[in-house]
Amino acid sequence: MLFEEFAYAAEAASDQGASISIIPSLAEIWPSLFAFAVLFLLLKKFAFGPILNMLQKRSDTIRESLEKAEETKLEAERLLEDYKAQLAEARAEAAGLAEQSRKIAESMKDEIVAQANEEAALIIARAREAVEAEKKLAMAELQGSVAALSVSVAGKLIGEKLSEADHAKLIEKYLAEVGSFNDN
Amino acid sequence: MEGLSEKLASKLHKYSVLPFEDMYGTVSPLDAFVFTNYIFFLIIAFVATLVFFVVAANKTALVPKGIGNLAETGVEFIRNLCVDSMGKEGVKFVPFIGTLFFFLLFANILGLIPGTLPATGTIGVTAAWAVMVFLLYNYIGIKKHGFIGYFKSFVPSGVREMGPLGKWGMGSFIFILEVLGHFLRPLTLAMRLFANTFAGGMILGIFGIFVVLGVKEISAIGLLSSGLSLVMLVIMYAFKLFVGVIQAYIFTLLTTAYIGGALHADEH
Repeated sequence: MLFEEFAYAAEAASDQGASISIIPSLAEIWPSLFAFAVLFLLLKKFAFGPILNMLQKRSDTIRESLEKAEETKLEAERLLEDYKAQLAEARAEAAGLAEQSRKIAESMKDEIVAQANEEAALIIARAREAVEAEKKLAMAELQGSVAALSVSVAGKLIGEKLSEADHAKLIEKYLAEVGSFNDN
Repeated sequence: MEGLSEKLASKLHKYSVLPFEDMYGTVSPLDAFVFTNYIFFLIIAFVATLVFFVVAANKTALVPKGIGNLAETGVEFIRNLCVDSMGKEGVKFVPFIGTLFFFLLFANILGLIPGTLPATGTIGVTAAWAVMVFLLYNYIGIKKHGFIGYFKSFVPSGVREMGPLGKWGMGSFIFILEVLGHFLRPLTLAMRLFANTFAGGMILGIFGIFVVLGVKEISAIGLLSSGLSLVMLVIMYAFKLFVGVIQAYIFTLLTTAYIGGALHADEH
């Protein structure tokens, strides 16, 4: 019903002179072409040109940044490898140095000990020699004093009865006995 | 129902091509220097597009934001559209295609504001641009492939390689069809955009009339129809917004396809 009414109304409206023109009017053709051309030129110069440039610049910048980041990363990795290698080298060197020092210390110790031993042996030998000499001296002194003492004791015991010859014989015999002591 | 026919007539009248300063005058197709109502809104759309892009272009930066970002997204969208249908050389058509799309878009969308007209709601504007596109893509095709080469490409290579009968008989038939097809392109471009925009405007107008008439009736049915019409009006507004964007896109997409076809005419 509404539709019928509407159809009637549309017909009535058309009778009243309302119509849609589907013939393009010159009054609209050239202004729309002109407006388009002007807008095209203005936008090309002031909008699309700069915006397209900016888009290009941005994509360039992003690509460059990515490339740079990649380069930096490779460089960092290379440096890390370098440092690792250097560190390993330094460690090996340090270990070598320590080993060397240990060896030097070891040999120095051996040398010092050997020298000390030698010196000690020498001191001991000298001491022995000195003791030996002292002993001999003491023995000689002892022999002298024993002889004299013996003569005087013997003289006192046997008085003047011994002749000079007997006296000498007796001393020699005694000395021989004492010498045999000394050998012990 | 007297009111309906009068209101409908006035609505139709409002949507027809009229001198801007005289609502009751007429414009005949041959009047070249009448400032019409649609051209007024075309200039509004012109200024809006120009201001938006010039302001946005000055706000672009390496790290985009706000309006600059919005405009860049739009330009990138156009660039992808061009490259997709024309290949690498499509980039140099971005200013043309971009102007076309955004001018159409602003005209369509601004025409939704109550009291205004969409500049694309008149055949004069859409036909002018459709013919411009027609001339441009044929010019591009002829410039790239030469006059003979371009028209030869109208006949598929398979037919060209047939015997004399197939080549000349079938070939000429296909050639005529193809030429007809090319002439239909501007016609369909112009009619599609104009009819969609105009009809959309009329539908909004009619629902508007129904809302007002229903309220005047002061009856349950009247109020119901008024309420329903109001709901439809809101839905139709949203739909019109969608149609405005879609129609601008279709016009632009077909233009890129036509230019792409002319550029690669030798490939089929």
